[in-house]
Amino acid sequence: MICVKAPPSMVNNEQRQHAEHIFLSFRKSKSPFAVCKHILETSKVDYVLFQAATAIMEAVVREWILLEKSSIESLRTFLLTYVLQRPNLQKYVREQILLAVAVIVKRGSLDKSIDCKSIFHEVSQLISSGNPTVQTLACSILTALLSEFSSSSKTSNIGLSMEFHGNCKRIFQEDDLRQIFMLTVEVLQEFSRRENLNAQMSSVFQRYLALANQAKSCGEKPTESWRETLLDSRVMELFFTVHRKIREDTDMAQDSLQCLAQLASLHGPVFPDEGSQVDYLAHFIEGLLNTINGIEIEDSEAVGISSIISNLITVFPRNILTAIPSELFSSFVNCLTHLTCSFGRSAALEEVLDKDDMVYMEAYDKLLESWLTLVQDDKHFHKGFFTQHAVQVFNSYIQCHLAAPDGTRNLTANGVASREEEEISELQEDDRDQFSDQLASVGMLGRIAAEHCIPLLTSLLEDRVTRLHGQLQRHQQQLLASPGSGSIDNKVLDDLYEDIHWLILVTGYLLANDTQGETPLIPPEVMEYSIKHSTEVDINTTLQILGSPGEKASSIPGYNRTDSVIRLLSAILRVSEVESRAIRANLTHLLSPQMGKDIVWFLKRWAKTYLLVDEKLYDQISLPFNTAFGADTEGSQWIVGYLLEKVISNLAVWSSEQDLANDTVQLLVTLVERRERANLVIQCENWWNLAKQFARRSPPLHYLSSSVQRTLMKALVLGGFAHMDTETKQQYWTEVLQPLQQRFLNVINQENFQQICQEEEVKQEITATLEALCGIAEATQIDNVAILFNFLMDFLNNCIGLMEVYKNTPETVNLIIEVFVEVAHKQICYLGEAKAMNLYEACLTLLQVYSKNNLGRQRIDVTAEEDQYQDLLLIMELLTNLLSKEFIDFSDTDEVFRGHEPGQAANRSVSAADVVLYGVNLVLPLMSQDLLKFPSLCNQYYKLITFICEIFPEKIPQLPEDLFKSLMYSLELGMSSMSSEVCQLCLEALTPLAEQCAKAQETDSSLFLATRHFLKMVFDMLVLQKHNTEMTTAAGEAFYTLVCLHQAEYSELVETLLSSQQDPVIYQRLADAFNKLTASSTPPTLDRKQKMAFLKSLEEFMANVGGLLCVK
Amino acid sequence: MADDLDFTTGDAGASSTYPMQCSALRKNGFVVLKGRPCKIVEMSTSKTGKHGHAKVHLVGIDIFTGKKYEDICPSTHNMDVPNIKRSDYQLIGIQDGYLSLLTESGEVREDLKLPEGDLGKEIEGKFNASEDVQISVICAMNEECAVAIKPCK
Repeated sequence: MICVKAPPSMVNNEQRQHAEHIFLSFRKSKSPFAVCKHILETSKVDYVLFQAATAIMEAVVREWILLEKSSIESLRTFLLTYVLQRPNLQKYVREQILLAVAVIVKRGSLDKSIDCKSIFHEVSQLISSGNPTVQTLACSILTALLSEFSSSSKTSNIGLSMEFHGNCKRIFQEDDLRQIFMLTVEVLQEFSRRENLNAQMSSVFQRYLALANQAKSCGEKPTESWRETLLDSRVMELFFTVHRKIREDTDMAQDSLQCLAQLASLHGPVFPDEGSQVDYLAHFIEGLLNTINGIEIEDSEAVGISSIISNLITVFPRNILTAIPSELFSSFVNCLTHLTCSFGRSAALEEVLDKDDMVYMEAYDKLLESWLTLVQDDKHFHKGFFTQHAVQVFNSYIQCHLAAPDGTRNLTANGVASREEEEISELQEDDRDQFSDQLASVGMLGRIAAEHCIPLLTSLLEDRVTRLHGQLQRHQQQLLASPGSGSIDNKVLDDLYEDIHWLILVTGYLLANDTQGETPLIPPEVMEYSIKHSTEVDINTTLQILGSPGEKASSIPGYNRTDSVIRLLSAILRVSEVESRAIRANLTHLLSPQMGKDIVWFLKRWAKTYLLVDEKLYDQISLPFNTAFGADTEGSQWIVGYLLEKVISNLAVWSSEQDLANDTVQLLVTLVERRERANLVIQCENWWNLAKQFARRSPPLHYLSSSVQRTLMKALVLGGFAHMDTETKQQYWTEVLQPLQQRFLNVINQENFQQICQEEEVKQEITATLEALCGIAEATQIDNVAILFNFLMDFLNNCIGLMEVYKNTPETVNLIIEVFVEVAHKQICYLGEAKAMNLYEACLTLLQVYSKNNLGRQRIDVTAEEDQYQDLLLIMELLTNLLSKEFIDFSDTDEVFRGHEPGQAANRSVSAADVVLYGVNLVLPLMSQDLLKFPSLCNQYYKLITFICEIFPEKIPQLPEDLFKSLMYSLELGMSSMSSEVCQLCLEALTPLAEQCAKAQETDSSLFLATRHFLKMVFDMLVLQKHNTEMTTAAGEAFYTLVCLHQAEYSELVETLLSSQQDPVIYQRLADAFNKLTASSTPPTLDRKQKMAFLKSLEEFMANVGGLLCVK
Repeated sequence: MADDLDFTTGDAGASSTYPMQCSALRKNGFVVLKGRPCKIVEMSTSKTGKHGHAKVHLVGIDIFTGKKYEDICPSTHNMDVPNIKRSDYQLIGIQDGYLSLLTESGEVREDLKLPEGDLGKEIEGKFNASEDVQISVICAMNEECAVAIKPCK
């Protein structure tokens, strides 16, 4: 037995493995209690002791129902006494024995046979002994209990359901947890009174502190029973005192701060009334301020302290917060302001030093988020209450993000600038996303202090614009003077770009909100700010500032009497203008694509919110806003023209910068996706030029990546639904869609198309058309689906012909399938029966052609498998999209098509299921087991077949034999040799299948026979194999339905299992367990109540029998 | 790097490739890497410094040999794209390790080698069993190779 841990010189590998094997089988042996006790009492080898403890623990759980309660009880006492009598046990041995005790207590709580209370009594005696060693032991016992009971992730695997663990946790929290907490507090109280702690005491102290933290975190939502304990102000004070005492010890400080953070989030029934909540909060804040004020915060405290503050602000309602003494509240907000600014500066330093562990950044994030929570609901505070604080936090944020001399970006603590050009991969998130939470908070604070922040941003931006312009001019002169003189130091430029980058991001977040779907509103603070000053503002000068981005703002007479919000926008237009001019001067290589991205990102965000403001959405509207970008104004027409020009220029110049091109085309979509804006857009000649240029497929637009081209196509189609007279509309479609159709037909209708189809130009033409079709499908909306569907349908039919022509060209085949996927994805939910039928038929034909061309084809080229994988993945997606019609359907029997197609009766009744099943039938033979090794394909496949079984179980028995067999084989394979996710899907598919059989009452159908086989599989899975407990529910449901269906076979399975048991005790227990399992549901019927009862019994059954049958 | 490429594609014949801006290349498309026609299996971008311009990192697999090639270049750079031509022929004979293939227009070509390995054996097997099969041939940059067979129905 010593071999396992013996040094390599003494034993060889084989001996070691053999020894390990002995231990493993020892642990599985039956009733090892006597042997284990003997080992524990006699052996001196730690590892052996550890194994003996583990064996006891596992055996107790496994044989629980075979054991007398009294012997369990005595086993527990034995273990506890054993540890107490041996203070010098190795830590890992001691903890394992205590874990065994905890597991016994927990398992006992299931049948209420073991009383916890006696344990606490024993422990409190240990604590009062005053002996540090004994106290440590007491702490270990409590910790073991706590971790066994509290979190579901830490519990031992004793083969019980999550629900059981959850119940244990709840019962434990109500009572026992508080006892642990109180015992802990007692110990801490005693320690905190001592002047000096020796090393041993301090380590005991630390353990109890950690325990207090753990105990507190288990009681997330304390009930009334905790009231006396937690509202006792001495408890709170104790934790502040403890923290002050140990704050320089990094580890201990972590625990004490977490305890405080938990006390800071106290809520719920523990408070009898609002008054007590106010008292508690006031008391807490006092304690907090006393602790923080006047100290220099340690690095290790930053996150903890900000969590405390964040909890206070998030958890306590506003009316409680404002009810504390106002001076105290002011001090609290002052402290918050001070900490936020200070953490922000430290976070910036961390970035410069490129630290791995960004504690201040984390702390800063938390505090900024707290600010957002605090000020968002500001009606509880008097107006302007937070303004000065907001100014400070805003200023410090800006300062940290600007280069010297205005700011401190990239400065180390001693003022040295650091600058590194690192390689940034595309996976690195853009700052606007990475720091979106920070920016949202800072933007909000900027609105609150709009009077200060908007003019500040304007002047900083205007200053940068002037400097950027000057710097670019100097570069240009240098280039002209000595062309090709190579390296120019870009430091000044890069600093300017980075400044502008952050200023634009902050401005974007200040002026507008992130929105998904709904119409974004102008933030009320910004609106009020503009309205407030509108009387002092000269509208004409404001329009002039806006309309002359090429001129310096300060060169316009009266520039100080302009609307500040519009002037801020126009400052960004000035940045944009400098960029455009640099491009015209061939300085593109000096520009920052990042800044280009920032500009269009901002413009898109701005346009969504401000362009053509809808008066109906606001109580009051600013006159300058209404004049400058309201409906039917010259201002809005001008700005639409300006934005369009920017888009067109960007698409031409920045085609090589994928992200920038993408942001640009998104701006274009924003301009046309709402009809009011689109109406203005189509009045621009540039728009028509863009459309024509794109239709010609000439440079520079065809340099764009395919995703950008698709989105561009989408935008062009959306624009076509703007308001136009019939003639113009006709002309528009002639420019945009018709060339596509015409070119395509010209190519494919050539007599020698078969011969020339592999020529490069032909292939490019085809690819471009297919890409465009995807883009058109993307433009689908409920009000244009009728037109787009009819247009696309013509193509889809032609695409099937292409499948034949390009059958040996995988990349084209793949793209054709993608077109179908996109059309189905975007349109199927709107289609009425007749149209849906058209699409179903087209998809079916597509699949038939695909299958015909690929069945029996053998490829050896290097990408064969990858190509096939991608095709099949798309086909699965297509089938899933088609199936989605069954549960997402917006169509109103072709209502959207009314008038387009009079009098066509839709009296065929082919369902999506027929199409999908037929599709599955076609592709199934192509799905090899090798292909199922691609996880995404495998998951998609099983999702699809589970879907089919759930939605159309009645179709399954009617399937052609081959298909039926493959489907059943797939289910079997999925249950036996795939991931647990797939296994779960298959189990979910079984229930509806079995129900279907029960309904049909055909006992000779192949589905009936198949389900009988599945009964055996699920039976074995539940009873004989170790399986994931998360699967028990799905398996249980399937099991019950199968048992209902095959009662005789089930009895047979049980009989066979029982008869193989030789031990009469086990036989009896097993037989009892099986009887109990079906007691509440005899005879089993497909009744919901019975099923639920069965599932409940199953859980108990699993607990009692689960491990029993795996015993050797 | 750019010079290298121009040099190597030079002897592959001008008409067998055409230039394309790097950013317009697509995954699953084709590109010439180190003078070899490759299928693009990975395409990613990066930049030097936050305000730098994009560079494209390409990984391709030689469509004939399966060998992997990589390249990195500015996204404005033009890359050569090989013209890929695929044809299907009916197999009418095997002689001295060469295939006899019937084109759609009824001509016979006999300049294509019987591929080595499994596919070659498969072709021979099918032919000896007098099964009608179609052979798919891929051609790029003056290189040609049979890559697939399919029984004729």
